[in-house]
Amino acid sequence: MSDALSELENILNITIPKDFVEEVVKVEEGHFDIISPFEKAYALMKILHDDAGIYHLTTISAYEKDDSFNVCYHIQHRIEEEVKEIPINFIITKIDKDNPKTPSMIDFFVAADYYERECYDFYGIYFNDHPFMERLILPEKWPDDVRPMKKEYSWEQIREITLNLAKQISEDD
Amino acid sequence: MAEDFRSRFRVLTDGSDAPLGADHHIFVGPQHPWAEEPAHFIIHVKGERVVEANIRIGFNLRGMEKAMEARTWRQNTMLIPRACGICSAVHQNVYVRLVERLAGIEDQISERARLIRMFSCEAERVHSHMLWYGILAHDTGFDTLFHVTWRDREIIMDIVEDISGNRVNPALMLIGGVKRDLPKERADKARPMINDLIKQVEYHKKVFTEEASIVNRLENVGVLTKEDAKKLTPNGPTARGSGLPYDIRKTFPYELYDDIDWNLVYYTEGDVLATTLVRLDETLESLRMLNQILDRLETASGELLQRVKPRISEGKYMTRAEAPRGEDIHYGIANGTDKPERYKIRAPSLGNIDATLKRMDGEYIADMPVILRSYDPCFSCTNRVMIINQSTGEKKIMGQDEFALKAIKAKKYNRPFF
Amino acid sequence: MSKKKLLVMGGEAIKNQVKGPVTLHISERLEKHPPPEDIRTIPRIIEEKCIMCGTCVKVCPTHCLWMEKDDKDNGMIWLLRPQCMWCGHCQTYCPKDAIHIDREPSLSVSLFSFNVRQDYEMICAKGSFKGEKAEKKLAEVIEEGAKTIKEIEEFRS
Ligand code: SF4
Ligand code: SF4
Repeated sequence: MSDALSELENILNITIPKDFVEEVVKVEEGHFDIISPFEKAYALMKILHDDAGIYHLTTISAYEKDDSFNVCYHIQHRIEEEVKEIPINFIITKIDKDNPKTPSMIDFFVAADYYERECYDFYGIYFNDHPFMERLILPEKWPDDVRPMKKEYSWEQIREITLNLAKQISEDD
Repeated sequence: MAEDFRSRFRVLTDGSDAPLGADHHIFVGPQHPWAEEPAHFIIHVKGERVVEANIRIGFNLRGMEKAMEARTWRQNTMLIPRACGICSAVHQNVYVRLVERLAGIEDQISERARLIRMFSCEAERVHSHMLWYGILAHDTGFDTLFHVTWRDREIIMDIVEDISGNRVNPALMLIGGVKRDLPKERADKARPMINDLIKQVEYHKKVFTEEASIVNRLENVGVLTKEDAKKLTPNGPTARGSGLPYDIRKTFPYELYDDIDWNLVYYTEGDVLATTLVRLDETLESLRMLNQILDRLETASGELLQRVKPRISEGKYMTRAEAPRGEDIHYGIANGTDKPERYKIRAPSLGNIDATLKRMDGEYIADMPVILRSYDPCFSCTNRVMIINQSTGEKKIMGQDEFALKAIKAKKYNRPFF
Repeated sequence: MSKKKLLVMGGEAIKNQVKGPVTLHISERLEKHPPPEDIRTIPRIIEEKCIMCGTCVKVCPTHCLWMEKDDKDNGMIWLLRPQCMWCGHCQTYCPKDAIHIDREPSLSVSLFSFNVRQDYEMICAKGSFKGEKAEKKLAEVIEEGAKTIKEIEEFRS
């Protein structure tokens, strides 16, 4: 771990406090995973954004791991002189499944707005301090407690919910 | 950044989010003759100038990510190109590279298979860009050029059909290699066609840079400065038109792109003309690349398809590729069975919307179609197509369900919509 | 950019006026540029080669292939035409190379026929499943399909 961490620190030209990261994994040449607990995630992202100058957020993906949620910010460190990008997967772990809350990174990336709202739609993960945490993709009348990408809903169940919704709306009319 | 934050996707149906100073609100879409795809834009204007533009997305969600979890890795190879109507090969390329890495066979793919994959991706870039600048010419009112580009586009479509058996969805790639070979007769048949097309594209470029009636419509329109571009994270030609020289084929090479001779194209002006020229130059680069690939295929050898077990061992991996519209990223998690645990797709268009809306600030309404076209809108590509939210003359705004119902009834009873 | 001119495309426009239309009628176009020999269409199975292993049914992404079999020499495979997207997965993964999805003589029929009668097609019947048994099954399947379509139509209205 420390090898990968020091290599990443060299590339980014910063020092990352040891207790901010759980693990740094070198996936391949010039491609890293940073795994960080959610209490420290905001401070760590601040270092990456302010000191290392990372400004490009490609997307955010959320997924379930055991009995917690993980949120992965795919960010790119760009070196303009060499025309080179270092992809970094910034993974926030151990987000409580019953009350999923994690800091919003909207202070650093404007693009985080809709990616975070997409995660909120599909998983119900609430991003603290996001100024407009509302539905982005799902229909207006979609039941609030159904978060379709969760594993507890199977593909068939989601289809059934959708059909019921359509039926109910046509009956209401 | 939080202070001046204003969600461009914030569209409240009671109209309370309209910016101060705007006196009219123009609603475009989701069913609009301008756009081939459903998109709902709300443009707040003061007089002739745009104050702010907003977009509403998320309607016709197809649920591909969920569907993929219910299918096997092998089956998903053919589902994934359907993420986008026109850049299907690049989605498939990203997917197969991801799975190959998880299966641990990414070094065993032969040179020949990689070259055929690249051929498919580059041919797709050519026809996608040609389609785009054809429609751009149509948007500027220059229909002669539109017809000429689309006539010439048939050349590359014929090549793709000849090589893959399909016109727009080549679906040549498989986990472990490619589906079919590119034999020598076909390469010989394609070569003169490619050379013809290079001449034609050079002619298109001449028109785009010299013809006053088109240059005047594009020059200094919708300028996106480099600083803004850095903030709003556009990708692909939109970013390269604003002086951000990032192309994943150069910055993080995949397949054999670091082995082939080609130039990175970028312009610093930031207006719509710059993004157009990026695409025109890229088309030429891609066509030259196609010729090189055909030359290399004469000597390249190796097995076309490696056997891969249907079960993929545990792990997660992220792959990216340069789609015609920008940066395409997939993130896959395997759990040891033959189905994915989680699969995330982010296609380029979603990342570009923000920057494009920014371009519109302070521009004329008349320039709106050109600017909106500038990022090559492809809403099936965002994996989360539009829902419907339409306004009549008064400020009546319908919910999507209501709208859909009305649309169905209008169609069924053959009566007018409103 | 540098110098702006007018009527850059004038020459091209006049040339095209003289040349006449580029677009052709479909039959003319097919005559002049016939589609490649191995253009993708729906799969067909060579009965002698098929060993009824079921791989094609398993890998089909759209679940449009079905099979019923007793053993290796007795069985049948049928196909729901409109659901097939000509992807060729069945062809790629068939261990005996028994499937072909190349151009068939009646190309136009295979491309454009989407009526209920022709929705289902028996593409392989072997051994005791040949003939009457296969035909009976196909009739059953078609009836079921018609029922589903009716249900969907009722739901829509
Ligand atoms: S066609 Fe091929 S894959 Fe399908 S059952 Fe026959 S032998 Fe197996
Ligand atoms: S071509 Fe594809 S969709 Fe059609 S039967 Fe074969 S595997 Fe299924």
